[in-house]
Amino acid sequence: MTENNPYIPMPVEISKVIDEVDSHDIKTFRFTFLNKEDEENFKYLPGQFAELSIYGKGESPIGIASSPTQAGYVEFTVQRAGTIVPGLVTAALHDMDEGGKIGLRGPLGHSWPIEFLEKKDIVVVGGGFAFTTLRSLINFMLHEDNRSRFGEITVIYGARTPGLLLYKDELAQWEKRDDIKTVITVDKGDDTWTGRQGFVPAVCREVAPSPKNTVAVICGPPIMIKFTLPVFFELGFSKENILTSLEMRMKCGIGKCGRCNVGYKYVCSDGPVFSLAQLEELPRDF
Amino acid sequence: MLKKTTIDKLPELAAALMEKGTLVAPVKEDAGFNFREITDAKQVDLIFHNTIISPKSAFFPQVEDFVRYQTGKSILEAAPVELNLKPTFLFGVRPCDVKSFQIMDIHFSGTGVVDPYWQKRREATTIFGFAFDMNEAADAAEFYHTLGIGAADPEGSDIFMVRKDDILMLKVITPKGEKLMTGLSFLTDASADEIKYFDDYITKGYDYKTCYTCVDTEAIAREFEAIFDNADFWTKISDACLSCGVCTFVCPTCYCFDICDETLFSQGTRRRVWDACMFTDFTLEASGHNPRTKVYQRLRQKVCHKYSYHIRKYGVISCVGCGRCTRYCPVNIDIFSIVEEAVKAKWYKRL
Amino acid sequence: MTISFKQIEEKLKTEAKRLLESGQASVVLAYGKGYDEKHPMPYVARNPSDVANIVFNEYCNYNMARYLVRYPAGTKIAVAVKAADSRAVIQLIQEEKVKREDLVLLGIPVYGMKNPKTQEIIDGKTTGGLYNPVLYDILLGDEVHGQAIQSPYDVLAAYELMDKEARFAFWKKEFDKCIRCYACRKACPMCYCDPCFIDQNKPKWGDKSPQSHGNLMYHLTRFHHLAGRCIDCGECSRACPVDIPLYLFHKKVAKECEEMFGQAAGMSIEDKPALVNFRVDDSDKILE
Repeated sequence: MTENNPYIPMPVEISKVIDEVDSHDIKTFRFTFLNKEDEENFKYLPGQFAELSIYGKGESPIGIASSPTQAGYVEFTVQRAGTIVPGLVTAALHDMDEGGKIGLRGPLGHSWPIEFLEKKDIVVVGGGFAFTTLRSLINFMLHEDNRSRFGEITVIYGARTPGLLLYKDELAQWEKRDDIKTVITVDKGDDTWTGRQGFVPAVCREVAPSPKNTVAVICGPPIMIKFTLPVFFELGFSKENILTSLEMRMKCGIGKCGRCNVGYKYVCSDGPVFSLAQLEELPRDF
Repeated sequence: MLKKTTIDKLPELAAALMEKGTLVAPVKEDAGFNFREITDAKQVDLIFHNTIISPKSAFFPQVEDFVRYQTGKSILEAAPVELNLKPTFLFGVRPCDVKSFQIMDIHFSGTGVVDPYWQKRREATTIFGFAFDMNEAADAAEFYHTLGIGAADPEGSDIFMVRKDDILMLKVITPKGEKLMTGLSFLTDASADEIKYFDDYITKGYDYKTCYTCVDTEAIAREFEAIFDNADFWTKISDACLSCGVCTFVCPTCYCFDICDETLFSQGTRRRVWDACMFTDFTLEASGHNPRTKVYQRLRQKVCHKYSYHIRKYGVISCVGCGRCTRYCPVNIDIFSIVEEAVKAKWYKRL
Repeated sequence: MTISFKQIEEKLKTEAKRLLESGQASVVLAYGKGYDEKHPMPYVARNPSDVANIVFNEYCNYNMARYLVRYPAGTKIAVAVKAADSRAVIQLIQEEKVKREDLVLLGIPVYGMKNPKTQEIIDGKTTGGLYNPVLYDILLGDEVHGQAIQSPYDVLAAYELMDKEARFAFWKKEFDKCIRCYACRKACPMCYCDPCFIDQNKPKWGDKSPQSHGNLMYHLTRFHHLAGRCIDCGECSRACPVDIPLYLFHKKVAKECEEMFGQAAGMSIEDKPALVNFRVDDSDKILE
């Protein structure tokens, strides 16, 4: 039952662990495939996710944080989940080191619509921990093979404190480049913080590009989404040009287990990426 | 090809099928009938109305083992569980339940990623459909006629059976059925009268009335979309609901499942287990957020899934009118009366 | 005397209407029409016009006390209670899940209630053997007197003859039928935990799949959680789609508790739940 069985995970090995934040509860795990053919079959695009699978603990759906332009490995940024619902998988993973072996099922779901984004200006808006698949998208677009396919790129990324910003090295590199405008903000700075302070919605109002031929790709905590969307409406973005990624509890990841539906769409197989126009057609059940 | 045997020779037919593979048939148990794998040919009992649990469990068992693992050992030592299916004979399935397999096919193997367990079990199985006894009145909970399913509807069966007193008539419907039937040499040919009776019975089945009639599924789907936000409506509908899982577990078209790692000491199995949208924790996320904390939200999900979302997604209603959910509901919630309430008798009339 | 179900229904309607009109109750938990006469349903009346839908007949077994915890604290609720149901209300008051002052108890003195599946009279078997509500504000009929007094524990006779091994075999066979639909806990007025222990994943008390050890874990733990709390309404057993006689275990535990602590569940608002209340003179039999 191994062949073409979407429920059987492929084995991967942890080749690198990066402690991302000063609260130490978010780490980026780099995995390499133990079977060459799995690596070849694991063709993904930014925005897709996979099930991290640890026998005895279960599975956890996590967005892919690396870009397909980074060959040879795949990365996931994982938060140790759950004070209310204990997250067995994420806790077990956080306790693992390099060389640890787990399972991976995927890639799953739809990516950010790359073809739709081509020849357009892109504004990427992220908040806190929900920056992972946006990082994948940014790195994908910035790759030398791809950069010319996209127009101006603006990144607006905020976290509560400087210590909670993910991918600090990459943020610094992007800030140095002139083919991407990077705006980093924190809700509240500390003694060493010299950058912006302010909430993401307010920063968007200030620095977002003109809506003309521009697509906004937004991911963040619900409260950020709630206050950011009106800003983009006011700026004149159409609902088709505002994209986001939904979260629902998932199990199978392939549209079979019936858990993650919003109306007639399964978030796992029909999403998780939706435009605001698509979301408005669905019942408010998420 | 119409063949026949007598009811008292049923054990003989059962034994012949058991010789060829696995026989799954209705068996009388404490609380009623259920489909079980037959170990003794005399267990098979066709004097039943319908089973408690639907025959979906033949293809989508409540527990399906995926992988065996040992805790503390590497993933590389985990072993997928092989199915090793023998030819399987699903015997005595009522027409509405046969229809449910076709609806489930669309979900499990007809669209998107193919579910290998459903597909393999389905391929290995020959279905013996069995007409309802039209001499008895339909159960008050049933409404398959509403959904265009005849009481003696052979569609979807490989072999279809009609009982006339102590005679059991069997007709080949598909090549799969034909291949099997030619091997059952002790069956005799039916007479011309019996052929006529059989054909008439099937025709008559389409007029055999259950509770309701006349439904426009597209209209129902739209109507439910329109009242989704009417919390008063859904609260009233769910006042009695206990939010247990009976309705979904007995249902032939409910397919929600959980994937569980179940470990006993160090031996573990990753398996899928039926789950129910009526359970409180069904949509509880690791963050603690739960979009459906209230009973009405869960019942709304269940009803809308069957009568609205499924139509929008797959083009067919996710219900065959078998009546099990209503019959076994501890508080007698009649699912079709919810539909009735929702569409305010606009699209059909109650007989 | 014979019970007039019609008369109880009329009184239930009258009182429900009066309470809703006067604002003494914002909801009335009663019984309503189902898809046929043998299958009535729990019914919630919110407006005086709703009371026309209220029914009462010998199949109205539901323990409406089960729904009390669904309403926000402070909601004024009138609830129809038969004998066992009133004990559930008392037990819920003891456990501080509901407040006496928020409730109007519409007591129903009745016998001859039937299980719609089997047509069997259930009075002694799966309801406590009482005919009159233990606590009520308004009685919808005359108190029942002169009916044969049945011990709620008579039906245990055959069960108690079994030895330990036979009992284990009996329950193993019964629990193997369980499909884990959780109708029993959801029908139970005392099963209000959220989350229920069996749904927790850390620690994980039992598996989700309906296999022997998980089923055993679920049912035995639930039985013990209900020790000294089960008020013997029998709803768990009637809710079960595969007819597991859960009431037998509950009764057995209730009997032991009653013998040990001299107190049956839900008989007085003044009582404290037997297993919560430590008394110096408590029986040590539990340790034997």
